[in-house]
Amino acid sequence: MFENIAMAFSAIRANKTRSFLTMLGIIIGIGSVIAIVSIGDSMRGLMTDLYKEVGINRVVTYISYEVEEYRMSDYFTIDDLEQIQEAFPEEIAYLDFQSSDSQDAIYGRNRLKIYYTGINSGYDKVQPVNIIHGRMINEDDVQNRKKNIVLEKNTAIQLFGTDDVVGRSFRSSINKDLDDYYVVGVYEKSMSAFAALMMGTGGDGEAYAPYTLMVDPDTWNFSLNFYVADGVDQSILQPKFVRYLAKMKDRSENLITYYSAKDEMGQWDTILASLSVAVGAIAAISLLVGGIGIMNIMLVSVTERTREIGIRKALGARTRDVLMQFLTESAIISAFGGVIGVLLGVGLVSLGGAALGVAVVVRPSVVLLAVSFSAVVGIFFGLYPASKAAKADPIDALRYE
Amino acid sequence: MAKTSAYAASASELHAKELIRIENLGKVYDTGAIKVVGLYNINLNIQKGEFVAIMGQSGSGKSTLMNILGCLDRPTLGHYYLDGVDTAELYPDELSAIRNRKIGFVFQSFNLISRTSALKNVELPMTYAHVSKKQRRKRALELLDKVGLSARYDHQPNELSGGQRQRVAIARALANEPPLILADEPTGNLDTASSIEIMELFTELHREGATVVVVTHEEDIAEFTHRILRFRDGRLQSDKRKNAAGEWEETLQREEERKETHV
Repeated sequence: MFENIAMAFSAIRANKTRSFLTMLGIIIGIGSVIAIVSIGDSMRGLMTDLYKEVGINRVVTYISYEVEEYRMSDYFTIDDLEQIQEAFPEEIAYLDFQSSDSQDAIYGRNRLKIYYTGINSGYDKVQPVNIIHGRMINEDDVQNRKKNIVLEKNTAIQLFGTDDVVGRSFRSSINKDLDDYYVVGVYEKSMSAFAALMMGTGGDGEAYAPYTLMVDPDTWNFSLNFYVADGVDQSILQPKFVRYLAKMKDRSENLITYYSAKDEMGQWDTILASLSVAVGAIAAISLLVGGIGIMNIMLVSVTERTREIGIRKALGARTRDVLMQFLTESAIISAFGGVIGVLLGVGLVSLGGAALGVAVVVRPSVVLLAVSFSAVVGIFFGLYPASKAAKADPIDALRYE
Repeated sequence: MAKTSAYAASASELHAKELIRIENLGKVYDTGAIKVVGLYNINLNIQKGEFVAIMGQSGSGKSTLMNILGCLDRPTLGHYYLDGVDTAELYPDELSAIRNRKIGFVFQSFNLISRTSALKNVELPMTYAHVSKKQRRKRALELLDKVGLSARYDHQPNELSGGQRQRVAIARALANEPPLILADEPTGNLDTASSIEIMELFTELHREGATVVVVTHEEDIAEFTHRILRFRDGRLQSDKRKNAAGEWEETLQREEERKETHV
């Protein structure tokens, strides 16, 4: 075996250019399979990250748009909110209306448009919020409709010129209430470049406000925004919740829209996974072409070395010895091509990932599969030329010029 | 020497010393449309330690006999016993094993493996005999020393002269200590000086006890040997041996005489 490998290497070295060109087919094949599958995996990773930022446990629910006549009771009130929270104390970890307001904020001569997100207390328990100064919106703020605001760090810097602004106030008009608003906390956003790109801020400032500031006790809100507690099975909660809401609003269950981030992520994941398998399969065809290239070159090599085969047979090489010699050669060409292809594919994807600032996912199982597949290609396509060599008649082979 | 009078020795003694026995051997090439006869009813024995030349013009059947003697081809009729083994019904891989262990080939066109050092070329038959790497190298170096090429062990065939290449080939033929050295026109591609060198090397091997069979069409090459088998039109025509006085004597027995001797 060791002899065969040594012989194969010297044969490959003897025809460097040809061996390299033969390898190229495999290199490109394996390289593109690795690159495409890794791009697919990285996209899935990004999607997962994106949904983690949105919150994997997030659910938005409302009465479907398809209702012919919208009734006032289809909207949600603060009372509804409390009622729902009481009905699902364990399952729902956090609940608010999906309320927001975009208004100018003024401090001295500075003016900045701020996008206020109305939140309930406990928001930081379901979403990662990195408070760097002060505190988060609390129960008291929400209950008593306090004009307390948590500013995003860069927003604070733009408005006040510094980020440590807890206790300061600025003027703004949330829900048409022009007044002084107090900064109780500053948070820092930890979003990936890709997530920021996907979600977008449009250059406006960002801040959290008690959701009760955004809505009057008697205003009607279109949708509910809640986070399911960790460990709750959404497939059990969903029908239960829909049934509850249908009863509450006196609507049939199929008119309740229940939109779960987990479901949507699962759908995206499935789409991306099947997409990368499909494109990967197309790339695998180039591997097949590479394999045929190996077969072609090995056939040429066998013909060229007919005399050598004759000499070896005359000196006592058995059919198996010659077969193994040529099989080893094609397997080595192919496996080498596979390894270079993997390096190339991973290199390209990493380069692209670094340029885009995206974490690259390369599954070891894919790499292993690609390399072993390339060796199999080498052996499979080497089999025919090798058996042709092994079966050569020594007299004819020795006479071959 | 004993071998010059070997044909007169007793039957049992003959058997012990016998390396090659060919009985009623025939070779027919069946090309489909026509059958070409290569060899007709050949009977001959070669004893261990003999130095034999096989001569004949092209088409005489000497190449066919060479291929059969070398176990590269099998007879259509009759038997060929090499070292007591009937080769007529062996499988190709069994023939490979016999070629590997029992025959050392020397070819007209050297047939060294290109881009491979002299040392590796000499090691090759031992590789197929599964000799350990260390031992292979040791023996190959010894053999290259024996043929006077120890200084050039790492040279590739294209860096060696014709005579040197043939000496590498002879070293390779000796690798597995085969009982038979089979040389097919070993001087055919060499100049006179190299030819003499090579034939002297064979003579030396013969003196050391090796059995050497040389196929040639050159009389002066055949002169180095002690027995000349002449073929013509697929038949053994003459079997001359050098007697103690150094003169050639015809010793080909008639069919009926041969049978009597071998009862």
